[in-house]
Amino acid sequence: MNLQEYFSLVFSDYTLRTITLGTAILGAVTGMLGSFAVLRKQSLLGDAISHAALPGIALAFLITGAKDSNTLLIGALVSGLLGTFWIRGIINKTHLKSDTALGLILSLFFGFGMLLLTFIQKQPNANQAGLDKYLFGQAATLVESDVWLMAIITGICVVVMFLFWKEFKLLLFDADYTKTLGFNTKFIDILITTFIVLAIVLGLQTVGVVLMSAMLLAPAAAARQWTNNLSTMVVLAAVFGAFSGVFGTAISASQDNLSTGPVIVLVASVFVIFSFIFSPSRGLLFRQIRFISNRRDLELQKTLSFMYHIAETHDDISHPHTIKILNNFQGFTRKTLQKLVDKNYVTIDGTMWYLTEEGFETAANLYNQNIKKHE
Amino acid sequence: MNSAQFEIQLIASLVAIACAIPGTFLVLRKMAMISDAISHSILPGIVVGFFITQDLNSPWLILLAAFTGVITVALVERIQKTGLVKEDTAIGLVFPALFSIGVIMIAKNANDVHLDVDAVLLGELAFAPFDRLTVAGTDIGPKSLWVIGIILMITISLLIAFFKELKISTFDPGLSASLGFSPLIMHYGLMTVSSVTTVGAFDAVGAILVVALMIAPAASAYLLTTDLKKMLGLAVFFGVFSAITGYWVAHWLDASIAGSITTMLGVLFLFVYLLAPSKGLIAVMYRDKQQRIEVSLLTFLLHLKNHTEERERHVNHLNEHINWQKVKSETVLDLALKNNMIIINNKIVSLTEKGNAFTSQAIDYIITNEDAQIEDMKDDFFLFRG
Repeated sequence: MNLQEYFSLVFSDYTLRTITLGTAILGAVTGMLGSFAVLRKQSLLGDAISHAALPGIALAFLITGAKDSNTLLIGALVSGLLGTFWIRGIINKTHLKSDTALGLILSLFFGFGMLLLTFIQKQPNANQAGLDKYLFGQAATLVESDVWLMAIITGICVVVMFLFWKEFKLLLFDADYTKTLGFNTKFIDILITTFIVLAIVLGLQTVGVVLMSAMLLAPAAAARQWTNNLSTMVVLAAVFGAFSGVFGTAISASQDNLSTGPVIVLVASVFVIFSFIFSPSRGLLFRQIRFISNRRDLELQKTLSFMYHIAETHDDISHPHTIKILNNFQGFTRKTLQKLVDKNYVTIDGTMWYLTEEGFETAANLYNQNIKKHE
Repeated sequence: MNSAQFEIQLIASLVAIACAIPGTFLVLRKMAMISDAISHSILPGIVVGFFITQDLNSPWLILLAAFTGVITVALVERIQKTGLVKEDTAIGLVFPALFSIGVIMIAKNANDVHLDVDAVLLGELAFAPFDRLTVAGTDIGPKSLWVIGIILMITISLLIAFFKELKISTFDPGLSASLGFSPLIMHYGLMTVSSVTTVGAFDAVGAILVVALMIAPAASAYLLTTDLKKMLGLAVFFGVFSAITGYWVAHWLDASIAGSITTMLGVLFLFVYLLAPSKGLIAVMYRDKQQRIEVSLLTFLLHLKNHTEERERHVNHLNEHINWQKVKSETVLDLALKNNMIIINNKIVSLTEKGNAFTSQAIDYIITNEDAQIEDMKDDFFLFRG
């Protein structure tokens, strides 16, 4: 199947439609909540939480003995939250730094989860096969009820975000101020963290434990480059996330042997790279262009001031000089000279140049900050 | 215990030691998450190396994969330097992308490659003794034992050779730079060692356990000591202890050895986290409570010194005036009495001479903005702490 076939089939084929919708919704919700994680400097929290959810999945299976995805997700949610709050506890109460706490919880919970998974595999229960899909995710296993669950949770998430928008925003940028205003910062904090955990847990089935953190980060990091406004960023991140989901599914469906999770992550990474380079205000490309044009301006000024110092030594400022004497000056090129002529600072007469009245004035006041420049 | 069991435990212990050494420095340098990033992003390196060498234990594969690890670190720094995102975001962006590339490379060549993502991520120690190294027809032990043994030897000799430099550059990068040790070389040296160790160990224990073995023993040791050498020693001890007990737990449960070693590390960390003498959770909470009471005591004594009128010094008045609850007032009064700071006559509290001296000195410290001195003063005055 090639990409064209995919897009013609996506509305009619049940499986494709379900998967595409599922990944799109997932991308949107993780993008939205990821914006908060990125801005709160908790980017790696997602990585830790998604790994920490694994033992919850295994325990939920051990307790219920059934592979109902909702039960497993509740297990994942509980264990993810437990991991999150333990990380908090370690950072707040001991001398260990946040990176150590994250790495600890991530690897210890995951290892424990692996122990349980291998333990389950040895159990005489035919039902256990397929639990390891949570490691790398299998979008193909999504069914309509999963998508409904995602949609409902995304809906709740959007509603809560609208209700608590002001509080979230305040807490994000000035936690102390929020506290002095009398908001219950602990509650807001727990609320937002819980939703982040929820979004991560939702994605486990689709993209898996290992790659979930990228789903949270990449759309948000891309969106951050285009705007300095929180609401715009959240919307943009949701759009980027949704598109990553759709494109990723499309690409992986159009080829054999291409699992959806990694492709979605790579598509999201392409969004990030594109944003890093082409964003107008922060992007690397435009930054470089601005840098070069600033340097050109500076060289122009240097040339002008060099001319000024020559003209200064003569009584008549319009005394002509040969262009040759500019040659051993670094900032000089034919183009810059032409620019000076265009600005009416210099007049060229054959191989001779001389400063105009206006050029002399400008050069004399080049470093005078009080005169407004009209450029 | 048969020879295969012994070999597994030996390999696990060597891996634990090899990980604990760079892990200690990573934890101290606040770069623990870098080890997580490296352990994931070596996957494409391993895959490419495997295509070339067709042998998971080949030194070329290890070097190639370790090189991918170093590239990851460089890439993270490059992105961070642009100032577009923070360091943690940069880490979180780079390694999933590289890992995805690895997964896709494996998936696309699944038919002709004997390489499994699960195996890379989780490892299987139980099979390690079966892949043996033979030199001139004689069996000289499992391949992974040799691989990790050589890596460990290199790590230890580097540690001994550059201990002083590592120590200075970890605790005072500015000083070490001004003394002429390039921070860049130290940094990338450590990163290279971490990458090589991660690659050398992943085959035996899996990428995730490598992270656990690097961070958990060092973090536990960090809570117990403030001496670098002791911390290294403790980390090595914790690593080996978990490796061996973990093996037997796995044996008993018939489950993954890597998973059970990690679980042992977790249990060990939980113990240390709760019970460490001065940095553990219980000790910290106890100290918090003690300090709260002592601050209350100080407030109380200051109040007494400020008021000579009897009404203000009546025991019952304390509840109303300083707004303390009954239990708290009792604790504070009790502590003050035990330390001979106050006497109570007819329910009227007054400062003793000692209490007066203590309070005057405390006021001096407070108005000269040297509040920290009060902590030292407490040792001189207090017979009983809060």
